Amino acid sequence: MRQAKTAYSGFLSGGGIPRRHDPHLLPLARIKKIMKKSSVDVKMISREAPLVFSKACELFIEELTKRSWNMTIQGKRRTVHKEDVAHAVATTDVFDFLIDLVHPNTSHHVDLNEDLEKKQ
Amino acid sequence: MDDSTNNKITTGDDETANQQERLLPIANVSRIMKQILPQNAKISKEAKETMQECASEFISFVTGEASEKCKKERRKTVNGDDVCWAMGTLGFDDYAPPLKRYLDRYREVEGDRSATPQRNEEEGRPSSSSTQFDPNLKPF
Repeated sequence: MRQAKTAYSGFLSGGGIPRRHDPHLLPLARIKKIMKKSSVDVKMISREAPLVFSKACELFIEELTKRSWNMTIQGKRRTVHKEDVAHAVATTDVFDFLIDLVHPNTSHHVDLNEDLEKKQ
Repeated sequence: MDDSTNNKITTGDDETANQQERLLPIANVSRIMKQILPQNAKISKEAKETMQECASEFISFVTGEASEKCKKERRKTVNGDDVCWAMGTLGFDDYAPPLKRYLDRYREVEGDRSATPQRNEEEGRPSSSSTQFDPNLKPF
């Protein structure tokens, strides 16, 4: 297997980021899309920014998962449930921005569904 | 040729597509979760979906802060340093050092390409790849 070929295909496949770097666990194009949608102020995004997020999201998911798992084992279970994630969010200050998202009383998604049903 | 049926199918696909575009793929998210958990741990589908949502919210949250900084400094491009800074500001101090190392390593290999504020990199135009692909750059 030629290393050069791997690097070459990495450049061509989009973004110019060679595959011989740490393999990204998360797709950079998707990260970029999510970044763009976050605010109208986001105009241009450097090639590095999604890369930083690919690592940061990994760290974030790892941390939230570990904390969720702590809730799971406190409940003497072996399956991580949504409630464990919600509980981890509620007990971690830095995850305050997620409270509305994981709180069971969030009616946002329900309202959207009702709107769609009416249109159909 | 039932238009209403076709419309319903198209709407359904559009919904799903839109939904998926704002989330990271569940397989990737799952993999990261599994890697950090013990072998005997299981993860419910709902928990994976919740994690997907949380990850997207994390990206939006940090990007918003980073983009605010760029706006104040009258810069158009959100770069890696802005993202690192935003994370530090929002309380993700622990992430900043490994991210800085990650970014430094990337810059080391890429040379000046990433550091130079250049053309619009959003489109990733292949025609401009003559500067991106360096045949002399050997992989390690």
